[in-house]
Amino acid sequence: MQFFPVAQSREPQKNEADFPRKLKDRLVIVLFLLPALVLFITFVIYPIFRSIYFSTFNWKGFGPAVDYVGLDNYRKILTDTVFLKAIKNVLIIITLSLGLQLPLALILAVMVGRDLPGRSVFRTIFFLPYVLSEVNTAIMWMLLYNADPERGFLNAIMTLLGLQPVAWLADMNIVIYAIFFTLTWKYFGFHMLLYLTGLQNIPKEIEEAARIDGANAVQNFFRITLPLLSSTLKTSVYMSILGSIQQFIIVWVMTRGGPVNASETMATYMYRYGFVRFQLGYGSAVAIIMFLFCMIFSLLYQALTRKPDYLTGL
Amino acid sequence: MASVTFDHVVKKFGDVLAVNDLSFTIDDKEFLVLVGPSGCGKTTALRCLAGLEEITSGTIKIGDQVVNDIPPKDRDIAMVFQSYALYPHMTVFENMAFGLKLRKMPKEEIQKRVDAAAKTLEIQNLLNRKPRELSGGQRQRVAVGRAIVREPKVFLFDEPLSNLDAKLRVQTRKEITKLHNSLKTTFIYVTHDQVEAMTMGTRIAVINHGVLQQVDTPQTLYDSPANQFVAGFIGSPSMNFFQAKISKSDGKLFVVTDSFKLEIPKEKNKVYGPYDGKKVIFGIRPEDIYNPEFPSTGIKAAPVECKVDLLELMGDEIYVYLMSGSHDLVARVDPRSKYTLGSKVQMAFDMSKFHIFDIEQNPENPIAIR
Repeated sequence: MQFFPVAQSREPQKNEADFPRKLKDRLVIVLFLLPALVLFITFVIYPIFRSIYFSTFNWKGFGPAVDYVGLDNYRKILTDTVFLKAIKNVLIIITLSLGLQLPLALILAVMVGRDLPGRSVFRTIFFLPYVLSEVNTAIMWMLLYNADPERGFLNAIMTLLGLQPVAWLADMNIVIYAIFFTLTWKYFGFHMLLYLTGLQNIPKEIEEAARIDGANAVQNFFRITLPLLSSTLKTSVYMSILGSIQQFIIVWVMTRGGPVNASETMATYMYRYGFVRFQLGYGSAVAIIMFLFCMIFSLLYQALTRKPDYLTGL
Repeated sequence: MASVTFDHVVKKFGDVLAVNDLSFTIDDKEFLVLVGPSGCGKTTALRCLAGLEEITSGTIKIGDQVVNDIPPKDRDIAMVFQSYALYPHMTVFENMAFGLKLRKMPKEEIQKRVDAAAKTLEIQNLLNRKPRELSGGQRQRVAVGRAIVREPKVFLFDEPLSNLDAKLRVQTRKEITKLHNSLKTTFIYVTHDQVEAMTMGTRIAVINHGVLQQVDTPQTLYDSPANQFVAGFIGSPSMNFFQAKISKSDGKLFVVTDSFKLEIPKEKNKVYGPYDGKKVIFGIRPEDIYNPEFPSTGIKAAPVECKVDLLELMGDEIYVYLMSGSHDLVARVDPRSKYTLGSKVQMAFDMSKFHIFDIEQNPENPIAIR
């Protein structure tokens, strides 16, 4: 009686079948990768190189690009005070995000992560803004920020409190902070959710062990929770910075980068030149600069934070 | 060093009663084992003592101090968790030093204590490693080390051996017992493994459904279980139980089941006489059932007809699974015994070692009649 007929019949063929089988395995891998590779090359790699090509031309987008200008577009962009202002604005958004938005998200995550009654309700409420579309968010906040106290909710409250109404989106000194507030409202729920997932991965006993070892709530948070949350924090910071560099829709809908470029970001600058003024060569150069910023940041960030996760060792 | 007192402690999770009116005292320097099946409330009781759970009512005292409202860090206890709960981002040294650093102990003293503990536990060469670089056994040692350096009044162990393989478990069991002997501190140890309980504890508290069943020395627990639960829980394989009746005829007392009738030795007539005609549970441990060819000296053998159902050879003994009428039972017999599956055999019950439990008064958990 044969208990393992399959194993026995395979045994003699093993050596002969070895080489073709490896080849077959490779072929299968290639076949499976092919569709994704074709799409990736067509819609990601090719446009990047095409943009690099166009960025060296003074080109309006109509007809063939013939007016070759070399690196002239790049020189102009990097010396344009409006673009430098856009970089400054992006840096302001990044700084405020890391300094205010992420800590807020973390505090809320710690609060709703506990076994408190009604926490799932709060979790849902905090996450709702992230579900809302960016255009809706922008329009809603434009209404809230309306300078007329009769129409704008915030100014109505200011007037009720006996304060002067503020032109939130028209004041060059305030607009970028007003936009940052909207961005925070929109995105903190996403980061909170990331932190919640991270917190759930920390075994309860580790924090209990620290409590017995003598740690109070603050020591427990800074010495145990925060270090164990580090890989989640890394992801969250990474996404926040990349998101800030690429921020477009909310700014464009609310202010179009105005007034007088006061809320310009790199993305609105690119869009203005590429698709409003139809200087597609110049716009392409802006896009390439943004791409380089993102790539250099990504590579540096990955290199600097390449430490295995404490909990998983990965 | 301190004693620990549970005084009418109740712990509820919503409507679920996890610990039900627990009262007992653990003496200073004692090694007490809390044992019971999964979900019996033993770990909850330990966590209440640690301060990780608030008790619903009652009092817990460490020494003379009521600790109900004292946070874990101020109870002067140390705990070894089932999962070890080492801090994954710290080295072994930092893990052990963490509690001392929080207590602002001078660096030299920390170094001294960690070194001493590492030497005791033979983990000196691991001090710079992170927990994930350690094996299960090594992690377990670090967890014990983290508790030792604190020099607490009371050590708490929550099933610390359950993640180790069988061989390491036996070895670590011995080491923890030795540790208790050398530290001379109160140890409270939770386990579901009755072998651990029997081998380690100076006393054992058996808990079931949140209720304390019996607290006594291992030998007393084994020889004189207070009720059927304790009798069945302590000992492996478990005690055999039979529905029975006490009956008197010709001035002799008998225990009668539907498949056998055994005479109760005269000296026990006084104890069981009043139960004449009453339903009881008759219990006998597997090692008190003999192969008549190899009886121990001094036993009061009573023959019972059985059918051999299954044999488990253990090397130094044989577990014989038998049927007597419709009853299953198991006997631990001499390894020289020769049995054939399905054959009819006569076993010898040692009637000087049996137990009788009163099922009429407490049908849920019959109490031992003595």
